[in-house]
Amino acid sequence: MTSSTTPSRVHPRLRRLFSGWVGGWNRIGGQTQFYGFTLRSMYDAVVHYKVEIVRLIAQMSLGTGALALIGGTVVVVGFLTLSAGALVAVQGYNQLSGIGVEALTGFVSAYVNVRLLAPVNAGIALAATIGAGATAQLGAMRIAEEIDALEVMGIRSVAYLASTRVLAGVIVVIPLYCVAVISSFAAARLGTIVIYGQSSGVYDHYFNTFLITTDLLWSFLQTIAMAIVIMLIHTYYGYTASGGPAGVGEAVGRAVRASLVSAVAVCLLGSLAIYGQSGNFHLSS
Amino acid sequence: MALRSSMSKPLVGVGGFYAMALDTLMLLPRRPFAVREFWLQCWFIARVSLVPALLLAVPFTVLVAFTLNVLLIDFGAGDFAGTGAGIGLAQLGPVVTVLVVAGAGATAICADLGARTIREELDALRVLGINPLQSLVVPRVLAATVVAVLLSAIVSLITLVASFFFAVFIQDATPGAFVAGLTLLTGPVDIVVLFIKAALFGMAASLVGCYKGISVGGGPAGVGNAVNETVVYSFMALFVLNTIITAAQFGS
Repeated sequence: MTSSTTPSRVHPRLRRLFSGWVGGWNRIGGQTQFYGFTLRSMYDAVVHYKVEIVRLIAQMSLGTGALALIGGTVVVVGFLTLSAGALVAVQGYNQLSGIGVEALTGFVSAYVNVRLLAPVNAGIALAATIGAGATAQLGAMRIAEEIDALEVMGIRSVAYLASTRVLAGVIVVIPLYCVAVISSFAAARLGTIVIYGQSSGVYDHYFNTFLITTDLLWSFLQTIAMAIVIMLIHTYYGYTASGGPAGVGEAVGRAVRASLVSAVAVCLLGSLAIYGQSGNFHLSS
Repeated sequence: MALRSSMSKPLVGVGGFYAMALDTLMLLPRRPFAVREFWLQCWFIARVSLVPALLLAVPFTVLVAFTLNVLLIDFGAGDFAGTGAGIGLAQLGPVVTVLVVAGAGATAICADLGARTIREELDALRVLGINPLQSLVVPRVLAATVVAVLLSAIVSLITLVASFFFAVFIQDATPGAFVAGLTLLTGPVDIVVLFIKAALFGMAASLVGCYKGISVGGGPAGVGNAVNETVVYSFMALFVLNTIITAAQFGS
């Protein structure tokens, strides 16, 4: 005999399916509400919690704990884009020499780095370092009931914790993106010239001819949009973490997954909207 | 003195990681092999990674296909879209796989092991005479490696299908030329390298996750930080490995 006291309902399978849908729908609604509230509270954050924003900017750019020892977020971003730029040199030079036009490696660097690698890499690095760090911090605060304590003390917890982090993330991403672009250009150039022995004049000629400055600005805007999305997702998962120490870790994992997918989606939609079907190449100049 | 300890801390971390990786490799052929744990972990990693891998592969592919095809169409070489898709496949497949295996699998491994460490379950295992490396780490590392290879196959398939549909139906490439151009620059060697890459990436990511998990300290905040570091270090390892393997492939 079963020991449960509630009688079984009719159509249990249908009911479970339905409640699953409703649960998912409610979760999406809750997330949207949180994002809206976070964005709306930004004004509060700027007015009331300036010191906290400055503190977070310092913390995010230099990193905390073990990350600070290896040089913080700036070094991680530079490192990731450096190796991606080297990949452009390796892949671009070899594939192009396969069809006899390895002189165009500089063009590939100017085109692929700007449109594809720099924004995507900056997004990935941002999600991994600043984003995951924010989730871990907020999750630990939630588990230790520090967020409830903030609310009790009359501090607007969303503005104080989430909005400040989104703002700080957007400010930090500006120098980070510059580091990303410079290091990917430098790595592609060094790899092609020093390792594969192409003459620097050939590389620089094609690089400078095909580098489009407006594209650089657009990809900068794309990165900022990605930063906003990533920080919103990561603060949400941290703010709503539950289930003890393991729960914090799981929240970080789920946040990284969600933010990677949405960051790449934002990048794609941005590219489709901005660049359209034209390459804008300086072919005849 | 303080300076010296702060200088040596990263080195201690690196040394500890290599020591654990070596121990794990030495324990691989040693019996008893935790078969049940291995299957459970395979299923677990596949379950958390499959949907994100699909969701990440499609926009990534379309982004690469879009960027490359715009270039090719401008040159009047739109029929070579398939070649671009081939290059995209060889480069993207393993990267997308490992972003997901590191972001989903390794973080979950680290959170799980980290929670066990701060509850002192690993110490309890050692007291019982069970080597936690053998019973917990080895099956996880193997499972992540196997799942990464399997996932990279699925991701490659999706990459091809998505870039085909995008190139043919949206950017008006010729389907026959697409398929013909596919193997122009991408051959069987690239596919073998793709699987080798995926296996190495999966192994590296899960080793980082396991090391960070069993060396956690400092309560719930410590677990969160360990997971954060897992993501950062495994992504860094991935990018370095990717560049080195690609260079080795073309260098030989």
